[in-house]
Amino acid sequence: MLADQALDRLQRGPDRSAGHREFTSDLSIEELAAVEEAGFEPRELVGGTCVFRVGWQFMGWTEAREVDVLSTAMYESRERAMQRLVSEAARVGADGVVGVHLDIDFDHWGSGLGEFTALGTAVRHRDRPGSMRTPTGEIFTSDLSGQDLWMLLRTGYRPLGLVMGCCVYHYSAQGISQWFGNLNQNAELPNLTSAFYTARELAMDRMQKEALGLGAAGVVGVTVSQQSHVWGGHTLEFLAIGTAVRAMETATAHDPTRMVRHLDA
Amino acid sequence: MNERALGVPEEAERRLAELKGTAEHAGIFTSDLSVNEFLLVKEAGFDPVGLVLGSSIYHIGLQSPRFGQSQEITNLSQAMYEARELAMTRMEAEADDLGADGVVGVRLDINFYEFGQHSAEFIAIGTAVKGHGGSYRNAAGKPFTSDLSGQDFWTLLQSGYLPLGLVMGTCVYHVGRRSVSGWLGGLGQNQELPNFTQGLYQARELAMARMQAEATEHQAEGIVGVQLKEESHLWGSHTIEFFAVGTAVRPIGGSTPEMAKPALVLDLGG
Repeated sequence: MLADQALDRLQRGPDRSAGHREFTSDLSIEELAAVEEAGFEPRELVGGTCVFRVGWQFMGWTEAREVDVLSTAMYESRERAMQRLVSEAARVGADGVVGVHLDIDFDHWGSGLGEFTALGTAVRHRDRPGSMRTPTGEIFTSDLSGQDLWMLLRTGYRPLGLVMGCCVYHYSAQGISQWFGNLNQNAELPNLTSAFYTARELAMDRMQKEALGLGAAGVVGVTVSQQSHVWGGHTLEFLAIGTAVRAMETATAHDPTRMVRHLDA
Repeated sequence: MNERALGVPEEAERRLAELKGTAEHAGIFTSDLSVNEFLLVKEAGFDPVGLVLGSSIYHIGLQSPRFGQSQEITNLSQAMYEARELAMTRMEAEADDLGADGVVGVRLDINFYEFGQHSAEFIAIGTAVKGHGGSYRNAAGKPFTSDLSGQDFWTLLQSGYLPLGLVMGTCVYHVGRRSVSGWLGGLGQNQELPNFTQGLYQARELAMARMQAEATEHQAEGIVGVQLKEESHLWGSHTIEFFAVGTAVRPIGGSTPEMAKPALVLDLGG
């Protein structure tokens, strides 16, 4: 589902006839150089968005637990924004999208409404278009910078897709107050520890499952973060996100790594 | 209650089993290394096997320092050390489960949430790695840990050293207030505040000595990349944690390989 304006922009697009090359991109100059060095040409800045209601009701839980409805909402909203970004990329004949940023804006649209956006630069392999698509012919996505893409290919791996997992967890204040009798003591809080530990593991596991689904050899550049967004301090989202990669079919020889000394001040 | 009994949660065991691979699918790795780090870890002869995590939410007991006195708050020192140690131990257990030789790029974070200023979450997270051929575990037979980046790890191995373990020491110190006002009488004068100097000096030395003691336990030849951090967390400006952390190393043995002479480059990247 793409907006008419998007279709219009992408179809009209730059005039690529007769060697005329024109594109839009949010790559920096250095990234652009690295992307081109890696054998790609940028096609177009592509994006996707999804406004989602992520409201929920506190059920008076006294135990720490996952808020399934929020985990699903947070995941699906990001997924939809990503799908739209990929549709846009398909329109410009891209092989992949690099430098993908995922953002959420909760404040603009009233309580419970969040705008999820995905933005990145669609790229296409210059000499062999289509060769860098995933084994199933899909467009790859990645939050790697242009430099990282170059380095990844040099390492003998190719990107498959941005993978993520999230888990929204609620913890109650009761688990804490049980310790207030022992104010002077140093002690671990076992209930809270296992709640937070479990939530993070679940997010990482879900990310891993996405990567397995893509047939990846691994995930690089993973970040694991937590945020309470608009739900108050007792509900937190744990998010794991990274780029799934796969070894290249043909190994490429590259120069050995050398030590260098910078001459810059 | 035995605090140490709380181990790695079930969900973690499931995730780790998946990393190792099952009957249905081959294994997979996850890593928080950047692509550059990934390349260098591989060139150093190691493969990333999985992101490993340890966590502990800890209630830090109250101990009101006597206002006028400058002294270590031993209760706090102990809490800050023990909580980090619990998180580290669990991260190591995850790495051990994966059959890893070590963990690189370890980050130790402390998060305060809305469960009050006396409780905090301590996290240890890093990428478990496995060497090609041979075991690189430390003398205790456990995976080594290190906060070195992939780049530093590569360079360390190039220099003929192997990491043994992340070593740390901490000292939470309270600087008495009265000792300040005692000197305010001489407002117009330039002079050293000996109580302050001595207190802070001592606290730093204690943190470093404790870190060194850990390295001795590892039978290390030395510690590289030491960072000495000072933070008041949520305790107010007169109570400071001095935290020393670094990577204990030992020579790989045999002759140290000749280091390549670095090439000189001029970076065009502004």
